[in-house]
Amino acid sequence: MSAWNLTGDAPGQPRAAATGEADSDALSVSQAAELAAGALHGVPKITVLGEVTGFRGPNARSGHCYFQIKDESAALECIVWKDTYGRRAFDLRDGLQVLFTGSFDLYKPTGKMSFKASSFTLAGEGLLRQQVAQLAEKLRREGLMEPERKRRIPVFCTRVAVVTSLSGAVINDVKRTLRRRNPMVEVVCVGAKVQGEGAPEELIEGLRRASSITPAPDCILLVRGGGSFEDLMTFNDEGLARAVAACPVPVVTGIGHEPDNSICDMVGDRRCSTPTAAAESIAPEFSELVNALDGRERRLQRVLEGKIAGAAAACDGLGGRLGRAMEVRLEREHRSLDAFATRPCLTSPVNIVDRREAELAQTVDRFCAACERSRDRFAAELDRLAPRLRSSTVHMDRMGHGLELAASRLRSRGTQLLSGPAAELGRSAAALDALSPLKVLGRGYSIAYDGGGSVATHVDAFHAGDALRLRMVDGDVLATVDAVEGSGEPRA
Amino acid sequence: MAEYKNVEDLTYKEASTELELIIRSLESGEMELEESLESYTRGVELLKTLRSRLAGAEQKVSVLLKDIDGNDELVAGSPADDSDALNL
Repeated sequence: MSAWNLTGDAPGQPRAAATGEADSDALSVSQAAELAAGALHGVPKITVLGEVTGFRGPNARSGHCYFQIKDESAALECIVWKDTYGRRAFDLRDGLQVLFTGSFDLYKPTGKMSFKASSFTLAGEGLLRQQVAQLAEKLRREGLMEPERKRRIPVFCTRVAVVTSLSGAVINDVKRTLRRRNPMVEVVCVGAKVQGEGAPEELIEGLRRASSITPAPDCILLVRGGGSFEDLMTFNDEGLARAVAACPVPVVTGIGHEPDNSICDMVGDRRCSTPTAAAESIAPEFSELVNALDGRERRLQRVLEGKIAGAAAACDGLGGRLGRAMEVRLEREHRSLDAFATRPCLTSPVNIVDRREAELAQTVDRFCAACERSRDRFAAELDRLAPRLRSSTVHMDRMGHGLELAASRLRSRGTQLLSGPAAELGRSAAALDALSPLKVLGRGYSIAYDGGGSVATHVDAFHAGDALRLRMVDGDVLATVDAVEGSGEPRA
Repeated sequence: MAEYKNVEDLTYKEASTELELIIRSLESGEMELEESLESYTRGVELLKTLRSRLAGAEQKVSVLLKDIDGNDELVAGSPADDSDALNL
């Protein structure tokens, strides 16, 4: 009751009312409402945490928002004025946990108490979601969510590391799914805490360990079963998200259930809605492998059959061409042989001899006739020439006689002509003979010739050792000079 | 013709890839017939090993654990229980 006194609005009166005295002491509704309003105004500005409910957006006419906030056992009318709502950082909606700061008020016409919020912020999960959204936006701006960053996951991962809690049901789900779908996938389990204090660090370490396995796995499954938003907050950890993005092995995420979407999902290389879906996504169904093998077997069979058929057809074709070519060739040879066979020399060789014989006979006949014709012609010519010859020699006797006469005259006249000069010549010869040096030589003289063939008249034409030729009357003497001795007579 | 590796030494994926390449080169039609036959034989061999591996496939599970020195080592783990397996 002392609280009422805090207002100091109507001292005494409430006390009177409370004691239930006379009607004249009763307050009007207005007075009572006024009293209550005054009391509410006396409550200082407070912050209330509550879940938004009955939110229908700003009033179409006024722009103010009227809704309720509640917790498990109580509810309050709440008003956000148009101006306040205009400055909001997020849209209000049902279910949000929000911290409203403001004060109470009483609307006197209806007596309804309400909380007038002058500001509001997200609380709890709502706050978390806002932080997550901000982190997501930050990482997106850094490019960690770009589609081109996402690495290709092999269609058939034969070796896969599963990073998750080894104590939960999830690891068994993954193993079972893979065993059923494709038992050829080798599973390496890497244990890590998936929620609570230290979980992000363990998962980061798990990713590091998983990517260090040799031989390296084809991909890493980062999986976790469903849980509350807070449970799944581990996978919104910035450090873990960066580790996923930086992981050298492609990461497939399967976190929570279908609608859950964590930052790890966004930065991973492939996002699957659940751990089972993640496991199914990394290897083809066993039957697909069988079908693939069947298909390959058929292709192999078909291509070889085609190949052989093609080769056989080619062989047939070549064989046909060979045969035809041979036939054409033989045909040509046949034709040329036939042509040879029709040649006369082969069909009737005797004809040639006969023809030659006939030609020869003809030639003989022509030759004989020609001979006869020549003989006759020459005979006739001879007959014609003989009298001419005879007649032409008649005057030759006369000429012969004249010639003999002239010869005799020539002889006698010649003798006459030569007798005088012959006597003269005899005399001259006798004189010449008397003067001939040869005569002198006959008397024992000789002529000396020097080496040059000149007649030497004096001893100085010679020197000891020179060649000397002596002309004697009947020949020459060839000698060599031994010495030269002058007679002492002077040269003429 | 290149030397072939023993099919048993190939992983499933290697064998599968080699088979696909063989079929493609056969399909390209640029091979000599003798070479084709050789490739075909190899293909059949690969097909056989792939089929037998599929038929005999058993899930292999290992767990990455730290040994006493803190180094990671792979320890054989239990495969998934097949209690939910379909009995076909």
